[in-house]
Amino acid sequence: MAELVVGDLTVEVDEDGFIQEPEKWNELVAKALAETEGVEEMTEEHWKLVYYLREYYQKFGIAPMIRKLCKETGFPLKKVYELFPSGPAKGACKVAGLAKPTGCV
Amino acid sequence: MKTSRITEEERAKAFTQVKKPEVIEKQRLAVRYHVEDYDTNDRPRRFLQAFAAILNHSNYRFALDHFVRVSAKCSRCAVHCQVYQATGDPKDIPCYRSELLLSVYRRHFTMAGSLRGKFFATGHLTDDKIEEMAESFYNCTACKRCTNECPVGIDHALITHLGRYILSEIGIAPRALVVSTREQLEGATGNTSAIPVPALVDTLEFLEEDMEEELGVKIRFPIDVEGAEFVFFPAVSDFLMEAETLMGVAAVFTATGDSWSIGTGYFDGINYGLFYSDRILERVVKKIDAETRRLKGDKVLIGECGHASRSAKYFLPTYCGGKDAYPVINIMEYTHRVFKEGKLKLRPNTITERVTYHDPCNIARQRWIIDQPRELLRAICSDYVEMTPNEDENVCCGGGGGTVSIDEIRPYRTTVGGKLKADQIRRTGAKYVVAPCANCKKQLRELVEDQGIDCEVVGLHDLLYKAIIFDKQQKPVITEDIERT
Repeated sequence: MAELVVGDLTVEVDEDGFIQEPEKWNELVAKALAETEGVEEMTEEHWKLVYYLREYYQKFGIAPMIRKLCKETGFPLKKVYELFPSGPAKGACKVAGLAKPTGCV
Repeated sequence: MKTSRITEEERAKAFTQVKKPEVIEKQRLAVRYHVEDYDTNDRPRRFLQAFAAILNHSNYRFALDHFVRVSAKCSRCAVHCQVYQATGDPKDIPCYRSELLLSVYRRHFTMAGSLRGKFFATGHLTDDKIEEMAESFYNCTACKRCTNECPVGIDHALITHLGRYILSEIGIAPRALVVSTREQLEGATGNTSAIPVPALVDTLEFLEEDMEEELGVKIRFPIDVEGAEFVFFPAVSDFLMEAETLMGVAAVFTATGDSWSIGTGYFDGINYGLFYSDRILERVVKKIDAETRRLKGDKVLIGECGHASRSAKYFLPTYCGGKDAYPVINIMEYTHRVFKEGKLKLRPNTITERVTYHDPCNIARQRWIIDQPRELLRAICSDYVEMTPNEDENVCCGGGGGTVSIDEIRPYRTTVGGKLKADQIRRTGAKYVVAPCANCKKQLRELVEDQGIDCEVVGLHDLLYKAIIFDKQQKPVITEDIERT
């Protein structure tokens, strides 16, 4: 299993770079994950998306439907791809510390 | 349908090794998809044991006996294989791929073969051959074009399917598929995308609000309605990705007033067993049967998904009651029927941009669903064009056979598997590519992104949603009707 080292914290990640220990997530981890996604700087908009995802995830145990994500954050899908080039599922969810989406997602 | 070969640069990209050397050493398997750790000792013996067991408990022997006799290795299939057309590698000719497994069968499971093998002490199954199979069987998209064109009728896709089944029995199967079916069969949520019921309900409520805002019509997603005519099983990923498709389906039912329901016990049409294991296939199909029984439904209704439709339609009778099994219909068949009956009214010329239709292999190859979506599209589009070839000769999206879920081979899918499809789409110049299949949608979106094609991939019901004419007096009544039943 690969590892992501953030300061003095070590987090296990899977082959695709999704963290395996969601309880260890913090903003520094998010920044490190964002780097692996080609996001150079986490702007306010990035954080808004990430915190929305986390909130929904903590409530329902899964990421929200993409349409809901776009509507409630006010970002059109295109904007989400601009923020996270790999898209909402593989990019934004990874940075937000969610589990890797499975199935035809 | 000839296409240009991939360039050397593309080849390097498509066949990049993603595995680390230590993994290759540990698993002794250099394939381009992730495999969970498995017992690497004695692989050939375990492969043959699994093969023998499967032959004992299935009807594959009849098919294989026939295939090894008639196989002429004429390579006519080469012209029809999109993978071979893109790579030009003889190892991608369907005949060659099938021969990998047929030769094992001939050597170890036929009298003449084993005698000859023992006499000359040759032809044993080796580790290298297993590795070649593990790579080769997942290069194929199981689109069955070659099967339709084979002059002696060899079902190459069936052989690929069996090969993957045997490999999965010794622990070699893409992690993406295994993890999903594990969640579906043993996980807490019981579906491949791990969607818990509260999230499902929240999503559906959100869509209901959205539709009321957009159309001014009260459209409901009936949940756990007992005795509904149709029990609905979409690809579960639709609840995350395909809002418009689901909205279209709900709108159609509101317009017609027929009863349908989504069951909270099980609401996933996806069946990855079709791609790699008959045992999984059986268990998933039985879940569909059980949920329909629980809700006392009449029919199984599968959403816009090719493999979900085929696995339910063909294997519900196999595993759940033969002739007494629940009838399975695809949502497009239903929508087309109510449209022909006049229960569903569509506004002509709603879509003015150019539209083309992609036939999902799993429902078009055997000419099951061909005309229905086309008639619906012609009814609402003013500029509808066909891709060539089409209908039962269509070209696969490039992500068939479960490969679309394997993210680590995306470069392969979009440069090799989907190359021909990309050429086709580009030639139509369409703004909308209608692909009524969760699998095809995902692959085509990645394909148009990677290949830089300017178009939008949508489902059929995404477009219908915009064109449905609601009967003003009818609509509030219908909603209450559904609630009462």
